[in-house]
Amino acid sequence: MSVSKTSSETVHVNDSSNAIVMKGITKKYGNFTALDNVDLTVPEGTIFGLLGPNGAGKTTIIKVLTALIPADAGEARVSGHDVKKEPKLVRANIGWVAAEVILDDDLTAMENLWLQAKLQNLQEWKERANDLLKYFDLFDRKDTKVGKYSTGMRKKLEIALALLHQPKVIFMDEPTIGLDPGTRRMLWQLITGINREYGVTILLTSHYIEEADALCSNLAIIDHGKIVATGTPSELKSKVNADIIEIGLNYEPDVTVFERMEGVLDASRTENGMRLKVTASEKILPRILSSLKIEGVVKINVDKPSLETVFIDLTGKRLSEEDNKMDMRKFYATLRMARR
Amino acid sequence: MRNATLNQFSGLLTREIMKTYRNPWIIAITVVQPFMWLAFFGSSFASAPKSFLEGFFHTSNYIAFLLPGVLSTSMLTVGMFGSMSTIQDKRFGYMKRILLTPTDKATIFVAKSMGSTTRGMVQLPVMVIAAFLFGVSFPLNPILWIGWILALFFLGLGFSSLFMAMTVSSTDWQTPGVISNFITMPLMFASTALFPQANFPVWMRAISSVNPVTFSATLGRSIVLGGAVDWTPLGYLAIFAVLMLFVGSVMATKWLRVE
Repeated sequence: MSVSKTSSETVHVNDSSNAIVMKGITKKYGNFTALDNVDLTVPEGTIFGLLGPNGAGKTTIIKVLTALIPADAGEARVSGHDVKKEPKLVRANIGWVAAEVILDDDLTAMENLWLQAKLQNLQEWKERANDLLKYFDLFDRKDTKVGKYSTGMRKKLEIALALLHQPKVIFMDEPTIGLDPGTRRMLWQLITGINREYGVTILLTSHYIEEADALCSNLAIIDHGKIVATGTPSELKSKVNADIIEIGLNYEPDVTVFERMEGVLDASRTENGMRLKVTASEKILPRILSSLKIEGVVKINVDKPSLETVFIDLTGKRLSEEDNKMDMRKFYATLRMARR
Repeated sequence: MRNATLNQFSGLLTREIMKTYRNPWIIAITVVQPFMWLAFFGSSFASAPKSFLEGFFHTSNYIAFLLPGVLSTSMLTVGMFGSMSTIQDKRFGYMKRILLTPTDKATIFVAKSMGSTTRGMVQLPVMVIAAFLFGVSFPLNPILWIGWILALFFLGLGFSSLFMAMTVSSTDWQTPGVISNFITMPLMFASTALFPQANFPVWMRAISSVNPVTFSATLGRSIVLGGAVDWTPLGYLAIFAVLMLFVGSVMATKWLRVE
């Protein structure tokens, strides 16, 4: 059994080959619509990013695609298999990397791989397991209990587990949540590395703009259970060819004044100020400021065209705002790690 | 496909056993607990007159009377381990890792039940040695031993499955303890595990005579005390185990969830 597939084998066999296809998927929890008629296509061999704030429905998409929960309506296929009718075939062809790093801490790295091989019913797995451990630089520690591993090592082992049975698709739910910047960068390299080396399609969710920009060849932006935009990062950026100026004010401004201003494409009120879409912020900002009560300006934020501005334009909110609030999932992930 | 199920089952079962026996404290306590039972409960009749023992227990060696009962009682509680390990897997997310492979929920259920039963079985040799040290003599016929071991295994498997079935949808750490107390107390006393049935009131005798603990205790006692062995209880225990495994597997397929 060979470990490394040549990329030509799997990547873009033909243009119609898609690793994941979702059509009209709807999922409701009681009255809450977690996914609202979602269509999604992930080409084979790509790194695809689902970008959206917490609660947007990213994790629900992964749960539907891994056949953990049934969708209420719609159809989904993963590596050619229907998630509803052939859940076992789907699960035999996917790998999964959790946000919180889920391994059996009482077992060694090798034993974790052994169990994964048993559960995936692999006959010859030892050689591949050894190769993967070497690839991830864990071979010397293969007989150490995983509980003694650092977070970075745990994350690597989790990816090795996900790759063991040569899956077609790997799902990564918030792969870098709660990680320090160094480990995050290391993980980015690994993710692009395994995509190149093993030709595996990767669907990852993230609410970090820079992560999606750095890793993904295709993106879907999701908000309130709806896909609001899809495309390559540069396609998405070119959609909003404008700067976004956000001004925090301690009084209520009259936005109509700004709507009429030359160079302003759009003006809207926000919770504590206003947001303007402009062609060239550096030219227009002085004029804008002169039309405001300067003592009422609390803060000014200027964004040049980026995925962040795309996100603001599409959803009316900024992704990074999420970081300021208490992120409960991150909190629990940290707590879980601390418990070990 | 059947081969796959077998592989998944043996992997999960081995994991349960490895996890248990890597913790020296678990082994120590599993071993000490039944021994204490024998020492304390057994000693409470130490100065009882021989005639009383013969009349009440139908043997002068009350430890020989007690041993099969205590072993049966401990098989009653082993189910708690299976459901605790299931809840731990759910809470730490490992259950999700298992469910994201082509493993059936029923396979997970059976592996967990078998795991806790195996864990309970380790008490048998310990107890037999302890009882031997307390002066109990044992038969040497291997068929009797195999029968006794099977009886305890079926009893453990049945109760483990019942236990797991009752907690299959739970993620609360406290549930197994509560269920354990709920099941153990009445079934322990409404059986012949500790006292002969002859002195029970009618309603308790009714429970006792359909209680699997009674079957196991009765069979074990006829083996340890010698005399004619009636194998019918073993048949009942096998039916009990298979029935509980089946019911539990169906329930797990339906209700075992990660969130």
